Amino acid sequence: MRKMLYIALNDLRVFFREPGSLVAIVLLPTILMLAIGYGIGQTAIAPTQVRVDVLNNDGSALTERLLGQIRAANNALVLCPMDDQDGSCRLDAAQPLTAEAISRRLLDKVTQAALEIPAGFGAALESGQTATLIYRSNNNAASPGIALQAVQAAAQQVGGAQVAAQVGLSVAEAYPPVGFSDDADRSAFRQGVYDRATTLWADNPVRVDYVQSTAPNAPATSSTQAGFGQSVPGMGSMFVMFTVMTALYAILRERRNWTFQRLVMMPIDRRSILAGKILMWFTAGMIEYGIVFGIGLLIGLNLGNDLLALLLVMVSFTLCITALTFTISTLVKTDAQANSTSNLLALSLAPLGGAWWPLEIVPPFMRSIGHISPVAWAMDAYNKLLFEQGTLVTVLPEIGVLLAITAVLFFIAVRRFKYE
Amino acid sequence: MPDVMVEVRGLAKTYRRADGSEVQAVRGIDLDIYKGEIFSMLGPNGAGKTTTISMISGLLAPTAGRATIGGFSITTQGMQAKKLLGVVPQEIALYPTLSARQNLEFFGRMYGMGGRELQKNVDEVLDFTDLKERQKDRVETFSGGMKRRVNIGVGLLHKPQLVYMDEPTVGVDPQSRRRILDTVIRLREERQMTVLYTTHLMEEAQELSNRVGIVDHGQMIALGTVGELIQKVGEDDRLILNIGEQSVPDSVRTRLLQEVPGVSTIEFAPPPPTNGNEHPANSQLTILAQRGRRALPVIIQIVNEARIDILSVEVREPDLEAVFLQLTGRALRD
Repeated sequence: MRKMLYIALNDLRVFFREPGSLVAIVLLPTILMLAIGYGIGQTAIAPTQVRVDVLNNDGSALTERLLGQIRAANNALVLCPMDDQDGSCRLDAAQPLTAEAISRRLLDKVTQAALEIPAGFGAALESGQTATLIYRSNNNAASPGIALQAVQAAAQQVGGAQVAAQVGLSVAEAYPPVGFSDDADRSAFRQGVYDRATTLWADNPVRVDYVQSTAPNAPATSSTQAGFGQSVPGMGSMFVMFTVMTALYAILRERRNWTFQRLVMMPIDRRSILAGKILMWFTAGMIEYGIVFGIGLLIGLNLGNDLLALLLVMVSFTLCITALTFTISTLVKTDAQANSTSNLLALSLAPLGGAWWPLEIVPPFMRSIGHISPVAWAMDAYNKLLFEQGTLVTVLPEIGVLLAITAVLFFIAVRRFKYE
Repeated sequence: MPDVMVEVRGLAKTYRRADGSEVQAVRGIDLDIYKGEIFSMLGPNGAGKTTTISMISGLLAPTAGRATIGGFSITTQGMQAKKLLGVVPQEIALYPTLSARQNLEFFGRMYGMGGRELQKNVDEVLDFTDLKERQKDRVETFSGGMKRRVNIGVGLLHKPQLVYMDEPTVGVDPQSRRRILDTVIRLREERQMTVLYTTHLMEEAQELSNRVGIVDHGQMIALGTVGELIQKVGEDDRLILNIGEQSVPDSVRTRLLQEVPGVSTIEFAPPPPTNGNEHPANSQLTILAQRGRRALPVIIQIVNEARIDILSVEVREPDLEAVFLQLTGRALRD
């Protein structure tokens, strides 16, 4: 055990004394994390499309008028599924847009808001009764988004028209036959419409009930959080891969220099040597995460409510990548293979898993494929923790998947690792 | 009968190639290395020398046979056996970005040392290898000879009973080489260590070794003291006459065999073909004779009478090189 720790500490010292190692683990990830974070943050402030899922249980002409008013209120809104022309709604063809599906899409941030139109909505309004729309969103009600504003405006317009219609009807019924004998009669009619409209407006027939999808204390997503909440874990995970996969080259070099064989010929259990090497590269990966998240914290990233969960996601992802690296090291024979393999893996698994951009913006089948990459599982967990105020319980599935992959890969690596 | 430090019986190693065929790198070697001796293992590249020693030192698992160090089996009592062994690989097996002292301290800890014992042993090794003044400098800034000395120092840190040194003088200048050879001799003389030494330099083996083993094609083809091995192949001197591009008629060979006392063998090697741009190499007439220096005047006279001009003459007394050549049919450096 003690020898294993000495091996890990010695290798860390060697690693940090390598020329260029600080550039690789501090400077490059910082630059990329800042650039991508600011880029995504700015985009998040001015979205070009805002998806609103509509669960239309009514289907009356009045409902269609309401939806038309919502579209007219803001042309950035995309009402799903009715406006899904170019796949912009990102609907799953195999699954209808039910209440459960909408809840999942809200939770996964596929859609920004949902509007539920109850059955009998149009009939209720036409008969002068009150009807209630249910609006759901992840946003805090104190800072309504453009979707809520549009729904409220449309509801007022539809409601206003209904009020006017109801007023006209009721006044006409009160003053039969319609026609004014003199100015006093006309003035009395005008006063009557006014009084009736005032009474009816006091109780708008169309109400919008706001339902927040996430925890009530969820903070509004600022541009800093939107940008760096993506770039810090994304770039952190990618550079953890780059850092840990340096082991491919380092193991080859140790064999070439015979420092590895020298250790094998010393009175040390072989598995302690391997464990020392694994511990070192795992630690290097965690240091990389620490650097990137530390800088993220300095520039205002909110790390969520559960730091233990965040730490466990980092640990499980770094373990997973360490296991992957040591498995691949049993196949790699040359420096060129080591370099190309580590670059290929890091530069494919990172974007595929959502380290460069959120998986929300890619089609559903690409999201499914992306989950081949351990990065996708880690990013899912980071999103829950950094954007949705998730807890350890929320991210246990992702941690479980990462640790399961880790166990399988370590099993292969330990069995196949060559000490000669 | 001296105490045995290393005992090897029927040691063999077979590798399987990617195409499924098998290669027998070592084919059942038997060997005893005695306590306090310097034992040199000679062999050309690919002879099985490194594989044999890798099995003795626990790096490779043998396919068959067994090896013990100080009575401990390297396969079943590896930890005890390895504690008695210090390894000096041919490669500079050090961390170049660390200082000499940091390297020694790390490897010392791997031998289970710590605290004052570690510091004391590191200081002793730095003294022994004459590196105390440069102990805090990074190894990458050292000369080749200094790196070799740190490399040796690591193998001596835990005061092993057996030191394995694999060609420790490769790539160093003559002065450093001399220093390393003196160090090896001091290990035996001052510390009574057993040294298992591999080299392809005959003069090193001849100078250092109590006994020599010659390995070829995975087998120990000769084993004994230098004197014993030379006796095995006879004690004829080798006279090499360079005669330019001339050839040697059969009549001259007959006269040399009949008229010069002690001549046993005559070999003629014509010059190797050139591509036309190179200066042509010499033909060589090689004569094996007892007391060759005494026979030389008569040989020169017979060759001159045949109107063959002798450009130079070289007299080689019997040595390990000759032994090796005779046993394997090739020079050690081939």
